[in-house]
Amino acid sequence: MADAPGGGVVKPAPFDYLAPASVDEALGLLGLDSTVLAGGQSLLPLLNLRLARPELVLDINGLAELDYIRDEDGRLRLGAMTRQVALERSELVGQRWPLLHKAVRLVGHTQIRSRGTVGGSISHADPAAELPAALIALDARFELRSAGGSRFVAASDFFLGPLYTVREPDELLVEIEVPAQPDGAGTGFAEHARTHGDFATAGAAVVVAPGGHARVALLGAGPVPARAEEGERALAEGADAREAAAAATVDVEDDHRRALCAELVRRAIREATA
Amino acid sequence: MAHDLRMDAGPQAGGLVGRPLGRREDDRILRGATRYLDDINPPGAAHVAFVRSPFAHARIAGIDVPEELDGVVAVITAADLEGRVGDLPVQGFEGGRVSAEGHPVLAGGEVRYAGQPVAAVLAESRALAEDAAELVEVDYEPLDLVLDARSSDVTMSDWHKVTGDVEGAFASAAHVVRASHSLPRLAPVPMEPRGAIASYDEGDDMLTVWVSAQDSHRQLAGLAAVLDRPEDSIRVIVPDVGGAFGSKGAPAPETMLVAVASMTTGRPVKWAEDREENFVASYQGRGMEADVELALDEDATILAVRARIWADLGGYLMPTTAIPTHTTAMLMCGVYDIQAADVEVLGKRTNKVPTGPYRGAGRPEAAYFVECTVDVVARELGLDPLELRRRNLIRELPYETALGWTYDSGDYERCLALAEELARPEHHSDDARVIGTGFGMYVERAGGLYETADAELLPDGRLLVRSGSSPHGQGHDTTFAQLAADRFGVDLDDVEFRFGDSAEVPRGVGTFASRSVAMGGSAVVQAVGALREKCDAVAARLGGGTTLREVAEAEPGIRASARFESDLVFSSGAYGAVVEIERATGRLRVLRLTAVDDAGTIINPLLAEGQVIGGVAQGLGQCLVEEAAYDEVGNPTFASFVGYSLITAAEMPSVIAAFVETPSPLNPLGAKGIGEGGAIGTPAAVANAVADALGGVRIDPPFTEEKLWRTLQGAVS
Repeated sequence: MADAPGGGVVKPAPFDYLAPASVDEALGLLGLDSTVLAGGQSLLPLLNLRLARPELVLDINGLAELDYIRDEDGRLRLGAMTRQVALERSELVGQRWPLLHKAVRLVGHTQIRSRGTVGGSISHADPAAELPAALIALDARFELRSAGGSRFVAASDFFLGPLYTVREPDELLVEIEVPAQPDGAGTGFAEHARTHGDFATAGAAVVVAPGGHARVALLGAGPVPARAEEGERALAEGADAREAAAAATVDVEDDHRRALCAELVRRAIREATA
Repeated sequence: MAHDLRMDAGPQAGGLVGRPLGRREDDRILRGATRYLDDINPPGAAHVAFVRSPFAHARIAGIDVPEELDGVVAVITAADLEGRVGDLPVQGFEGGRVSAEGHPVLAGGEVRYAGQPVAAVLAESRALAEDAAELVEVDYEPLDLVLDARSSDVTMSDWHKVTGDVEGAFASAAHVVRASHSLPRLAPVPMEPRGAIASYDEGDDMLTVWVSAQDSHRQLAGLAAVLDRPEDSIRVIVPDVGGAFGSKGAPAPETMLVAVASMTTGRPVKWAEDREENFVASYQGRGMEADVELALDEDATILAVRARIWADLGGYLMPTTAIPTHTTAMLMCGVYDIQAADVEVLGKRTNKVPTGPYRGAGRPEAAYFVECTVDVVARELGLDPLELRRRNLIRELPYETALGWTYDSGDYERCLALAEELARPEHHSDDARVIGTGFGMYVERAGGLYETADAELLPDGRLLVRSGSSPHGQGHDTTFAQLAADRFGVDLDDVEFRFGDSAEVPRGVGTFASRSVAMGGSAVVQAVGALREKCDAVAARLGGGTTLREVAEAEPGIRASARFESDLVFSSGAYGAVVEIERATGRLRVLRLTAVDDAGTIINPLLAEGQVIGGVAQGLGQCLVEEAAYDEVGNPTFASFVGYSLITAAEMPSVIAAFVETPSPLNPLGAKGIGEGGAIGTPAAVANAVADALGGVRIDPPFTEEKLWRTLQGAVS
């Protein structure tokens, strides 16, 4: 680096770098002191600020086998390395899982979505991220693979705290699976951010379908994106948007945040039921 | 092009003044053909990373520098500089007392803010320098903190003026209205952070410094003072600059370190800061509070103003830290005919990065303090705020204020009338939202001091002008070329400008305080006019029908220079804002922003409007999201764009911009200044609109969702 023109531009603390050629090779390298580089939209700033100091950075950008959007028997399968922009432009996603379209468009700016990946956003586990909340509302599940095999975790069970998930250090998130949505399902996504493209202050993802199917997920309301089951019950029992929104947010701490979340849930419900 | 350069074209032939020409510098900028500080890479340069204090206030008990690190050239601490460099010089102001608490290049026994440079690591790359900087162990013993100006015991600058019968006015007043105001600190956030490169030639004892700055000569003077070197042994080159907003006017301690490090090591030394450094270590703007009282008679004529202002200046005085406090104090009569004033401003030491001039530099503070107080008066007396203003406006100019500045020109009544007409005021509320309208007026000191220009006829008959003014986004290359081409009577393409190299341009003052056109532009037309006369004389000698190329051939190297000097000129304006606050969330939307500015003669309406819109954007940022806040132990919470937001195009309302042109009598152009009006007028207008929407409840910016929601909740219960 010292010989690079301009004196080199590597900002992070020193680390080793490996770019495995396959998922299997990557699984053999994952461990306690490694971190996975996907789109890098959150990891690189953390590295540059020296807040993240991994010994090994495992770059999986070369793993084309993790970059796909497929419909398999009505279920949506997304490779973890699917760029957010690909999700945004997918006609399949737009027609069958429009909530993902609505959510992904609010992720940062175009430039960020061009690099950022679906799996990266999930694994990073920012409580204000859009895709995790949308995937929770869609009953998605995640495939975590390690050298020992795969396990599947429901999106609503995946997040444990800010930047903290059930993923073990030797596991790699490889696929996101979203079930077919009920017939006649409507969806809504609403959020507030200080400025366009900034991190959301709070937001809500909603799926409503005939026959009492209701899903409400909140982002920015607590330490993890989470289902608001009281709100879902209220919706299923025929409550109006305002009542359901109040029920969905009873547990949100801080009265302003609660009011903000309730308004966003109300808007998302209205959008879903319009 | 030479065929166009007819002598008989005449000085007025251009007709270029007043035309909305696009910026001719943009082609180069948009193609990436610019050369910013970080694009300059002298061979063999050592790169600097600073060890910065993590404590807001601490004694330095010791520094342990690691020995012999791979790729490390040197580690410099204050001990290495002792006796070799001074602190940064401190600039005073008229009638004020300023203490000699200049910023040290590196902290010695004490650090006074988080982010203060303590040691400098020079290495073969910035990356290695950053790695090594982590290994420098500094033993800090934390000391007590002061984070609030009002509770600080240390006054670093003060100014107090009482004029007219203030006591009498308050004693006999039919109404006395009081209001307190506070404006948070703001980070300037230029797109290009700061940086400097120094190269020392021992052979001829010449120090060359490239620095991302607002001009070369203040940097040069700072270097000469701190290094105690003759000015003619220093050359300062300002390359292309990606914005400054005031923050690159005064020389930085880091620039001084780079210079001394180059002299010590004999190598070129480069410092190009990153965004985090820019946030924590670049001087900030605003950070003022005020208690304001107005005395009024039965007819709501303002008899006197009394104001006490506290400025949160930070740990040290940068060269220009105290200047905005004086500007605020001197503008506390605003645009009103007030015969008595008692104004005091106290500049307090706090454990934060120093403040300094930031777009507006004291003017937005004054406009905010005065205009928000006027609206409080209107509410308390049940008067229309515009009628109250009309009753008190200064109508005859020039006008000497009670505080002692002479407003040279203006038509405040017309500005206000136009703003009212364009703003389309609204005030109503329903279940979902509250809507309100507010106005804010301002008067702005601009120009002053002097500026220089050299004009030269090139061998091919084209015109070359060197200016002491220095662009960093304003569009000098277009505006000044319009002035020069117009005066000289040639095409715009036949005029070339050079800026920023102290070895080439005449000694000037620089680009700040909305002064470039009035001062730099006037110097340009004077120099070009003088050159034109010389060319005309040569042409007359040669007989009729001569081209400029023939003049240049007959008498090579014809030059003329000018140094234009004038008192301050005073721009003014009236701003109107219509805002909407959502009841459910507290979200604020600025629906319309009306900007009426009087900057005297407008040279280029397109660029002038661009300045207004840019200023409005920064003023709105201050209203909506910006605040450089510190936590309870003095840590900056704004060290990245996660903690410090800037508004985007999506948050910009429609801006209705209009100009009133009352020419200044103080310069040949009739120009005043337009660089800061938007940043000055916007916060006061928006704050008054917010108060109107909230049913008269006042809060200070930033107007966050949470603050507004809580205020609305309070208003309901």
